[in-house]
Amino acid sequence: MRNDLSRRRFLRGTAVAGVGAGGASAASHSPAAPPGWHGATRTRTVATNCEMCFWRCGVLADVAEGKVGKLEGNPDHPLTRGRLCARGNAGIKLLYDGDRLKTPLLRTGTRGEGKFRPISWEQALDLFAARLRDIKEKYGAESVAFFPHGVAATFFSTLMKAFGTPNSAEPAFAQCRGPREVGYALTFGQGLGSPEPVDLAEAKMIVLIGSHIGENVFTSQVTAFSEGLSKGAKLVVVDPRLSTAAAKADWWLPIRPGTDIALLLAWMHVLIAEDLYDKEYIARYAQGFPDLAAHVREFSPEWAETITELPARQIRETARAMAAARPAVALHPGRHVTWYGDDSQRARAMAILTALLGAWGRKGGIFLPTAVTRGKFALPPFPESKRGRADGAGTRFPLASEEQGVTNGLIEATVTGKPYPIKGWIVYGQNVLESIPQRAKTLKAISQLDFMAVVDVMPMDQINYADLVLPEATYLERYDMPAIVESAKQPYISIRQPAVEPLYDSKPGWWIAQEMARRLGLEAWFPWKDPDEHLAKIVEPMGINPDALRARGSAEFPGRPYIEDRLPSDGPLFPTASGKIELSSPILKQLGFDPLPRYTPVPNPPPGYFRLLYGRVPVQSFARSENNEWLDALMPENVLWINASVARDHGLKDGAEVILENTDGARCLPIRVKVTEGIRPDSVFMAHGYGSRSRALHRAFRKGASDTDLITRVQVDPLMGGTGMRVNFVRIINGALRNGD
Amino acid sequence: MARYAMVTDLEKCVGCLACTIACNAEWEVPTGFARTHVRSTPVTGTFPHLIQSFCVAQCNHCDHPPCVEPCPSGATYQGEDGIVRVNQSLCIGCGFCVDACPYDARYINPVTKKVDKCDFCSLRIERGQPPACVATCTGHAKFFGDLDDRESDVFKMVYEKGARRIQSADVAPGPNVYYLGREAQTSLVAASFPPRRPKLPRAGEFWSRLVKPLVVAAVGATFLGQAVAFFQQLRAGEKEFED
Repeated sequence: MRNDLSRRRFLRGTAVAGVGAGGASAASHSPAAPPGWHGATRTRTVATNCEMCFWRCGVLADVAEGKVGKLEGNPDHPLTRGRLCARGNAGIKLLYDGDRLKTPLLRTGTRGEGKFRPISWEQALDLFAARLRDIKEKYGAESVAFFPHGVAATFFSTLMKAFGTPNSAEPAFAQCRGPREVGYALTFGQGLGSPEPVDLAEAKMIVLIGSHIGENVFTSQVTAFSEGLSKGAKLVVVDPRLSTAAAKADWWLPIRPGTDIALLLAWMHVLIAEDLYDKEYIARYAQGFPDLAAHVREFSPEWAETITELPARQIRETARAMAAARPAVALHPGRHVTWYGDDSQRARAMAILTALLGAWGRKGGIFLPTAVTRGKFALPPFPESKRGRADGAGTRFPLASEEQGVTNGLIEATVTGKPYPIKGWIVYGQNVLESIPQRAKTLKAISQLDFMAVVDVMPMDQINYADLVLPEATYLERYDMPAIVESAKQPYISIRQPAVEPLYDSKPGWWIAQEMARRLGLEAWFPWKDPDEHLAKIVEPMGINPDALRARGSAEFPGRPYIEDRLPSDGPLFPTASGKIELSSPILKQLGFDPLPRYTPVPNPPPGYFRLLYGRVPVQSFARSENNEWLDALMPENVLWINASVARDHGLKDGAEVILENTDGARCLPIRVKVTEGIRPDSVFMAHGYGSRSRALHRAFRKGASDTDLITRVQVDPLMGGTGMRVNFVRIINGALRNGD
Repeated sequence: MARYAMVTDLEKCVGCLACTIACNAEWEVPTGFARTHVRSTPVTGTFPHLIQSFCVAQCNHCDHPPCVEPCPSGATYQGEDGIVRVNQSLCIGCGFCVDACPYDARYINPVTKKVDKCDFCSLRIERGQPPACVATCTGHAKFFGDLDDRESDVFKMVYEKGARRIQSADVAPGPNVYYLGREAQTSLVAASFPPRRPKLPRAGEFWSRLVKPLVVAAVGATFLGQAVAFFQQLRAGEKEFED
């Protein structure tokens, strides 16, 4: 296989031959070359999926003498075509991180103290099963809550459902993408899924609302973004900060934070008032247009100017530019969008704007997923819970996903014991203390637990609070549920398979879940003996050979991404109740919410305070990657972006150390300032994923500051329970003064 | 003979650092060092009228490389393909070439004590693979190829689209790393990262820095020789005894 890959010629003409022919050629140079991975001793190449984040890019792991020598992008992978981001390239340093969890651990000290003793897997799994049985007998199976993250959690999800608890929640919903899934589903009848199907490569105009592509790196999305730009797409970036993307924009709109809905309404106003929207598309596919037109009549660019602090002229100009590019307008729905508590409504506004531009299901807009049939084991039905969910999904938060759940709802239930007690937490690959806001509340919930188990690769802060810690093998050492991605132009399956044997006493997740099931008498839900049998079943109806799949790493299927490609078997274009795009939402009306999005005023920071914004840097994934040797070396600390005028007022020079204190008195670790014109004077910004409090992470411990330390307040989205987290204000305490402050 | 060049399309580069890490992985660059750097220009202008750009920096494989002449051991040389390389077996780690490089593209590897830098991934291109940074570039912003090949991407970018190189009236070694982008962007990059005047060794420094490694080597060799002789004798003695 490797030879096939090498044969993909990248140089035209005789360039390559030329190198070998020269006197001082690379060939003659080889013996004296510096050390490096040259593949000379490579024994095999394993095609697998990356897990440095959850995009699941295709990786080739070159293995020599039982070690992974280098990771390269897999040129055959349908999504990433041979490219990998910094984190993906640094995956080896997760595999060979000496700080990894090495053996099952049993807590011996008090919660948080970090004292453990190693135990065997046999003991650990027996203990796990016994404790879960105890809770079930005493409180009922629902009193065990599950906090998963990522597709690798699938086997544990099955285990938890089989055990009888519906209480599973991941931050991917209530701290991340939930609002957009809800907002788009209300409008188009279906959410977006991940990777989100935004046709950036074919767009004539790209609109980013807070999305900071480039700093937030998902390889294929960056590739498509630059492809779109290089083919001439215009770019609008709405962001209070000059992000990497904003620096490339034709229009950078440094909006007053929290006012995006006003801007979106004004854009709709211009499209409708000036008759620029896609009339044919709306007439054919949408319902509720007269209500929408009446609703946005008053929201002129002049109205929006007073709210957003963006010139009305610029709002008009960008709306007209979008109209000129329609339907090829890629309005990116965002990913982490839990900002202000009205986030599902902002997503609704973005979805409606997408519809007015005729961009859903169109080339250069949002393309459509194509279903892939997968094989399934015939499992017994999961036991039904009489008590229902404890997190409020489907009840208190009527539109929350019952598959992904509401993490903060589960924490709340654990703290209050309502609607019923939660006494056990199983955490898989999630960093509950860093990824969920209001850490004090999370710690309070943990202190009330009878049992907490964490399955993870690295000793994140949370393990210190766990009773039982189970070391999982890294993604390079294990099989996982294959990624079956429908929201791609060419839908595909790609697999994760071990490149090397698990190091230390770590075990793959599938094995851990299966062993737990065996001890809990739940084997019936795991009717396969090993990964080979599991994979064979899944690919059964796909007409592909599992061995060929293992060799290539992925297989793609024909996609039907645009409206004109669709077949009757693809189902209705807009699976809403009306079968049309619902511009005005009957569901929201029925639930007593605004059927059309409305701007709710946001407060300005109190005098002396700034709005705390946070986001990504390309070397960090969530709060998971901060201990990686190579990534740490490139950006060991995060920095605090402050406007140059703020720096002058505070007497701060670039690089000065400060701490931040929010209006509740919460403080972060020291952080250095980056003085820049590239941020609004009313806001400050820091990257997420720093300031770890885990001593066991030798490189990351106390490096930089954690935004989570300062997020003591949230604005909860009443539709779906998402925690709006950009509602905290901080003041800057000069480092030199802070001891006496 | 080929004339190799690298072009970064600044419009497409998002500063994601994938190139740096891929290069580090490919060449086992010690942590904290790099053969490929992603530099960010300062944000210039006044809010909200601002520009900023990235600059991917590496060895420029100059037409007239200022690093070759100062090398006392002949380790740094330019191949017929234009690629400037360091022959590791000849390098004595004196660092003159590091000082001479106008682009700060060289470093002394603390493990091998020898100079290291980008060599356009010679071993990869020999195998028909693109350089590691080009292969992984998430923004598809880096291009590598032969400027003598009129069909190559780099030829088109340099001779048709006007990619520019960073040099000044003072320091113009003819770099073969080019940058394509809007005029404001490439000018900002050129102004932010001007080539510095090569620092040539002063007479005294020349000998002290050159001699030191040689002395160390000589002393080391002497010591090693004696040690070897000693152990040989020891072994021989034992052997005798055993016999």
